[in-house]
Amino acid sequence: MALATSESWPATGRRQSGSWQNPYRPFLGSVVGAEDLATDIRMFQVALDDPGERERFTYRPGQFAFVSAFGVGEAPFCLTSTPRRGHFLEFAVNKVGTVTRALHHMGEGDVVGVRGPFGNWFPLDEMKDRHVILLGGGIGGAPLRPVIHTILDNRADYGRLTILWAARLPSLLIFTEEFDDWRAAPDATLHVTVDQGDETWTGNVGLITQLLEQVAPSPEDAVTITCGPPIMIKFTLLTLEKLGFTRDQMFVTLEAKMKCGMGKCGRCNLGEKYVCTDGPVFSYAELSGFLESL
Amino acid sequence: MSDKIQAKARELLESGQVSCFVGYEEGTRGRVRPAFVYDAQDAERLIWDDRCTHNLTVYLHQFQGSGREEPPQVGIIVKPCDSRALNVLLHEGQVTRDSVYVVGVTCNGVRVNGQPQDRCQRCAERVPLVYDLVLGGVPKTVGREDYADVDRLEGLSPRERLAFWMREFDRCIRCYACRQACPACYCSECVAEQLDPAWMSIAIDLPQKQFFHVMRAYHLAGRCVGCDACEDACPMDIPLSLLNRKIAREVETLFDYRPGQDATTPPPLATFDKEESIPL
Amino acid sequence: MNVTTRDDVTAWLDRLAERFTLIAPMAVEEQVFYRPVAGSAEIAFDFVRTDLPVKEYFLPSTHVLLSIGRDQGEIHVEEPALDGERVVFGLRPCDARALHVLDALFLEDEPVDPYYAERRERTVLVGLACREMGEACFCTSMGLAPDDAGDVDLMLTEIGEEGDGAAYAVQVVTEKGRAILGSLSLEGVEGNPPAPTVREPIPILEAEAWPQHFDDVYWTRLGDRCLSCRVCTYVCPTCRCFDVRDYEMRDRSIERLRAWDSCMSEGYRRIAGGHNPRPTKAQRLRNRFYCKFCYYPQDFGPVACVGCGRCIATCPVNVDVVEVLEDVGAL
Repeated sequence: MALATSESWPATGRRQSGSWQNPYRPFLGSVVGAEDLATDIRMFQVALDDPGERERFTYRPGQFAFVSAFGVGEAPFCLTSTPRRGHFLEFAVNKVGTVTRALHHMGEGDVVGVRGPFGNWFPLDEMKDRHVILLGGGIGGAPLRPVIHTILDNRADYGRLTILWAARLPSLLIFTEEFDDWRAAPDATLHVTVDQGDETWTGNVGLITQLLEQVAPSPEDAVTITCGPPIMIKFTLLTLEKLGFTRDQMFVTLEAKMKCGMGKCGRCNLGEKYVCTDGPVFSYAELSGFLESL
Repeated sequence: MSDKIQAKARELLESGQVSCFVGYEEGTRGRVRPAFVYDAQDAERLIWDDRCTHNLTVYLHQFQGSGREEPPQVGIIVKPCDSRALNVLLHEGQVTRDSVYVVGVTCNGVRVNGQPQDRCQRCAERVPLVYDLVLGGVPKTVGREDYADVDRLEGLSPRERLAFWMREFDRCIRCYACRQACPACYCSECVAEQLDPAWMSIAIDLPQKQFFHVMRAYHLAGRCVGCDACEDACPMDIPLSLLNRKIAREVETLFDYRPGQDATTPPPLATFDKEESIPL
Repeated sequence: MNVTTRDDVTAWLDRLAERFTLIAPMAVEEQVFYRPVAGSAEIAFDFVRTDLPVKEYFLPSTHVLLSIGRDQGEIHVEEPALDGERVVFGLRPCDARALHVLDALFLEDEPVDPYYAERRERTVLVGLACREMGEACFCTSMGLAPDDAGDVDLMLTEIGEEGDGAAYAVQVVTEKGRAILGSLSLEGVEGNPPAPTVREPIPILEAEAWPQHFDDVYWTRLGDRCLSCRVCTYVCPTCRCFDVRDYEMRDRSIERLRAWDSCMSEGYRRIAGGHNPRPTKAQRLRNRFYCKFCYYPQDFGPVACVGCGRCIATCPVNVDVVEVLEDVGAL
């Protein structure tokens, strides 16, 4: 069951970025809200200062942007918001390095830079009328959230929705306040698991691959998107194959160290493909043809 | 001599005593380069002559067990200067003695592009200081350390000296060949590349380059054995040996210590001796 | 052909140096680098090729991308002032071709890099053809010739003897070159400039044939002696990987710097969090060759090597790209 490439999902995502003349120059924006999602993971809402730039900044689920903590640097983050749900750009930031640490120190009104949007996007048009299975591990759930929102906001356009959500610990699960909304949607199920429970955890304990084998969704007329740490992606794809999914039914979104977002700095290549311009969304069929693996 | 090295390597590989033998081989364009021999039949690649300048001990790290109980033995050729570097690595716990089979070679000096090397003329050791087997005849010459180049440097005024080094560092491109070629530079994350905290910026400009070279020279104080692998590797002909030797002489004068003579004498800069404390 | 004398050329260069920043080969100790010169007296005319490529003037080893001012919570972002107009003199065809290779990425692949574009636009390239190939040179294997004028604005070819009596044939290649000719006196004479002495090219495997050798143990063995330094990438005229980072200045303003970086460095691909897709030096070394001969041509068009031989001359452990190309062809 092949998914054809079509207008809705071009192979590359080279689009407008940053200042319209200088792609290295960020737009200025302000932090308008922040919410702790999990230990060391905070979601930031950014509003671009210039109304014209705010209007022109359109993006689709799967794309990413660079957020600048001026004085430290910038880093790429997937856009976890959808344009339909507001003018704020939302980013889930895991505090692991210098830029993310600087961002975590920011409060309302602080100025950040935004460059983007970059990259390609999920083939949402191709996914219409199909059973959509989303597998998110840890912060990997962030790029899947706008897919969930798009499906929920256009429920009739999509088939069944199955979400598998995982983290190492209960304190690392993100977007837990949205779980009720997701479960309440028609023909949608949410399965949550953690690698290791704690004193208050009463839900599933086990790896996402184990949960996946239990849930055993049917590959018929289905599309999957997996995102999480490289090792989780690797084993989830193997498990999906065991369950009968073909490689062009499986999509992933990848993370890489990036400095430009435009294929110039040379850093994010997997073989001749650049994660920033040919990705970050790839099908497993494509990925299997790459010389380098994750 | 090459055939003796080949024979020993063949024997060590055939018996399984070593998983790899690190030596020298003929490269392209008349150059010699490091060789890694894994199969006994390839031992014939190994050569030895006065073009064998590289300090092979820099490669020992990639063979260390890192967590495994018994690292594989690796065979290695060392010249006297290389053997001093090996002593430093043994001393600092970077290499275990029983993980290497050391084939020492006596040395009458090496040449780079046909030019005899200054370090060889200053080298007092002609027989390696640590080995399992030593090959080669009785050395014909012996060198003598005279620090003449350091004297000339110290003859300059501080202002002139600064101008000299700034002129030299200006050509540096921060390629880190000096650091990568140096057996004593084995930090898994170098201060020069650390981001958190960022001791240096990413800029390839004179302030950063000056900081890098002076800092590296200080980190090598009491540890640099004068093998000059750094200067040989530098594509910009920066006199790194002179910088390291200036500091080496300071250490020798202050502490009567020359690194690499053995693997047991406590190194002065890593040893706290109560008698050395200066009362307030 | 149109010919001129060395004396006329030096006088012309001195006049150019008054109007433009003149960048030319200059002897520094035992080496030769492209440097800004005050006049022709500082120029080294007799050299094989410079020890560092001219890319420094188009992709500087360090430069400011943005200046960010902070003023009571207000942030304003400024772009650096543009460089003045420049003339590069003494550009060897390999270095000029390298600019063409970089153009494929920085100019022709969207979005355009404005910093590179501006420097390219504001520079006139005056080439100096080679009479013979250097020991490590292999430009003819990369589809180039030592007297190739295709990538410069003006091409000078030495004719006659070397020294002050030397004469040059002058070829106008582009209008940009013609515009700076000014009063350089030219005399039309019969004949053509002498052809350079060349060596037999080696066959280069085409990009599509590289993937089949990706998993060959050859790369692990080659990587054994690699020191994982950065020399090859920094002396290479077509390598362009860079790093970007912000730094706070004393006056609390911020500079966003762009500086050379190298795929050969161990931490190059490491993500915050620790995962490193290319942890071994053999993987990095393999990636470098594949990037130059397989990925870059597939993504952007030209092969990312011009046969200048600088990496061959400077690699401390004799990783020789010509040998690698021959070996890969035989795998």
